[in-house]
Amino acid sequence: QRVLLLVASDVDALCACKIIQALFQCDHVQYTLVPVSGWQELETAFLEHKDQFKYFVLINCGANVDLLEILQPEEDTCFFVCDSHRPINVVNVYNDTQIKLLVKPDDDFDVPAYDDIFRDEEDEEDEEEDSENESRGSEPSEKRRRFEEDVIERTMRRRQRREWEARRREILFDYEQYEYHGTSSAMVMFDLAWIMSKDLNDMLWWAIVGLTDQWVQDKITHMKYVTDIGVLQRHVSRHNHRNEDEENSLSIDCVRIAFEYDLRLALYQHWSLYESLCNTSYTSATLKLWSVQGQKRLQEFLADMGLPLKQVKQKFNSMDMSLKENLREMIEESANKFGMKDLRIQTFSIHFGFKNKFSASDIVYATVSLMENIEKEGPETTNFIKALDSLSRGNLDKLHQGLDLAKKQLRAIQQTVASCICTNLVISQGPFLYCALMEGTPDVKLFSKPVSLCLLSKYLLKSFVCSTKNKRCKLLPLVMAAPMDVEQGTVIMVGIPPETESSDKKNFFGRAFEKAADSTNSRTLHNHFDMSIIELKTEDRSKFLDALISLLS
Amino acid sequence: SEAKSGRTDLIFLIRFRHCCLLRNQRCLLAYLYDRLLRIRALRWEYGSVLPNAIQFHMSAEEVEWFNQYKKSLATYMRSVGGEEGLDLTQDIKPPKSLYIEVRCLKDYGEFEIDDGTTILLKKNSQHFLPRWKCEQLIRQGVLEHILS
Repeated sequence: QRVLLLVASDVDALCACKIIQALFQCDHVQYTLVPVSGWQELETAFLEHKDQFKYFVLINCGANVDLLEILQPEEDTCFFVCDSHRPINVVNVYNDTQIKLLVKPDDDFDVPAYDDIFRDEEDEEDEEEDSENESRGSEPSEKRRRFEEDVIERTMRRRQRREWEARRREILFDYEQYEYHGTSSAMVMFDLAWIMSKDLNDMLWWAIVGLTDQWVQDKITHMKYVTDIGVLQRHVSRHNHRNEDEENSLSIDCVRIAFEYDLRLALYQHWSLYESLCNTSYTSATLKLWSVQGQKRLQEFLADMGLPLKQVKQKFNSMDMSLKENLREMIEESANKFGMKDLRIQTFSIHFGFKNKFSASDIVYATVSLMENIEKEGPETTNFIKALDSLSRGNLDKLHQGLDLAKKQLRAIQQTVASCICTNLVISQGPFLYCALMEGTPDVKLFSKPVSLCLLSKYLLKSFVCSTKNKRCKLLPLVMAAPMDVEQGTVIMVGIPPETESSDKKNFFGRAFEKAADSTNSRTLHNHFDMSIIELKTEDRSKFLDALISLLS
Repeated sequence: SEAKSGRTDLIFLIRFRHCCLLRNQRCLLAYLYDRLLRIRALRWEYGSVLPNAIQFHMSAEEVEWFNQYKKSLATYMRSVGGEEGLDLTQDIKPPKSLYIEVRCLKDYGEFEIDDGTTILLKKNSQHFLPRWKCEQLIRQGVLEHILS
């Protein structure tokens, strides 16, 4: 039987896709892979292929909407959905036949009970029949009495029905109000491979990259990240214990994954330490590097560690060995003095060959920038294919290209953040903060893509929280807008939850955007699988924002 | 004959010219032979039907030669493999696996496989298909074999 794989355009989905491709190839299952970047593409792909396939696997798309209603499939079509978007639509959860969800059993769902939301249609008909039968009484007086009793019963039933419906609406509203993310799809796929005893070190690495993607894009809480790292660590030690034994050590070309308590600096091993410190959101925001005082503080920080500027501005690999040896501990110590307590993070790195060592977050940044590369080399799917290829070990040239693009992207993000903060572009609209990028801003084209714009918004919010003195503003969420297509006059808007220590990363902007769009009849397009990203026409922007403000106040 | 009439000083010129002519003839023959060898290789690369662009550059005699070669190859293949014959032009390199992963390089449209179902070949879609169905399209440049 042949299978159609529909894969969303994010790194977690790409990793899950690689794992399941490897499993299919192992078992000789014929499949076709179609990348989809939004609901419209999903529907188009489904319509094109529905006559040829009965089995569809959806990766990182489709769990949070009523699939059967949107796609209208045949009776015998079967969907397997592996999606980290939550909340899962109740129809998908309770469907027995056509929709199968691939999720981990301990992921908490809080799905409402079946009886609270679904009511069999038959109950109503029986009620009607009963009342009719009863009214066919014999004597007039009895008939009259029975008629009154019927009326009372019917009104009571109607009232019960209304109460049930009101409760149902409330339950569904609570359930669907906040969007968040569950376990990474790549990890779920790796679990599947492990249960089938077909897991490999390569698949484990892809699972690690999928999880790290969720962390880089701030989609999961720190607790969940640490828990999942623990799970993966067990697998890593299971696959990678051989190099501790000197006699049976593996060839240098074999893949080795190692657990590291590494620095949180983006791409620092492929860049210079100075650049990495300037372009990582955590350090840049805490040290406030957009201001002159911030730059001075950075110099003090480096001086505190005893690192000469010349060394630090060189490529990391060319730094003196004596400085690199205790670098992590030195940086951690000094960072604590400067208010950066979480500069080190648990993560993994991969080694193969003599030159190739990459940390999981490096791969995530490289793949994101390859996927959202604005240089048009063909249809949109070319970027997807390139990013997919770069995840294979044989395509190091693509990976290096991705790393270069990632450096450009991070620099662009930091410069945009610095200019937004210095020119006070982030304004409080009451219930949320708002920032709009103008068309002439340098690198603004980079931010017409959803993931880049989300990264920019998160970094901007972090920096804003560090820079503002207004206590109330620190707890507000952020809505960010950037021009998407100048010719068509569209704008892309994202909403992110507030930046707090114990944030549960739950985002209410999905529903809020929908409601605001409905109430103002704005021309919006909710094309992305993440409901909190929308596209709208530039002319409708101001009335949309006004509606949003009044909705959330 | 000029030599017999007594103009012995011209014999060297004639001999030289004759050698040049012979050399030119050898070069032409080598060129034509090389063309034939390439046309023979085309049968193994493209199959029995040559693309129009290539046929345009072949002379009528070469086309005739190609058809004859096709016939003798087909007769041989039929005689070799038992009842149905053995298609020698497939699997020129020993295959490593039953199914291969291919990527579509251009929009091709629908493609039918053995059990009657069709696959839509769109640019940048990837498929995992039996090797023997894909070889023809790989040679034509529509599909690209992906090595993982």
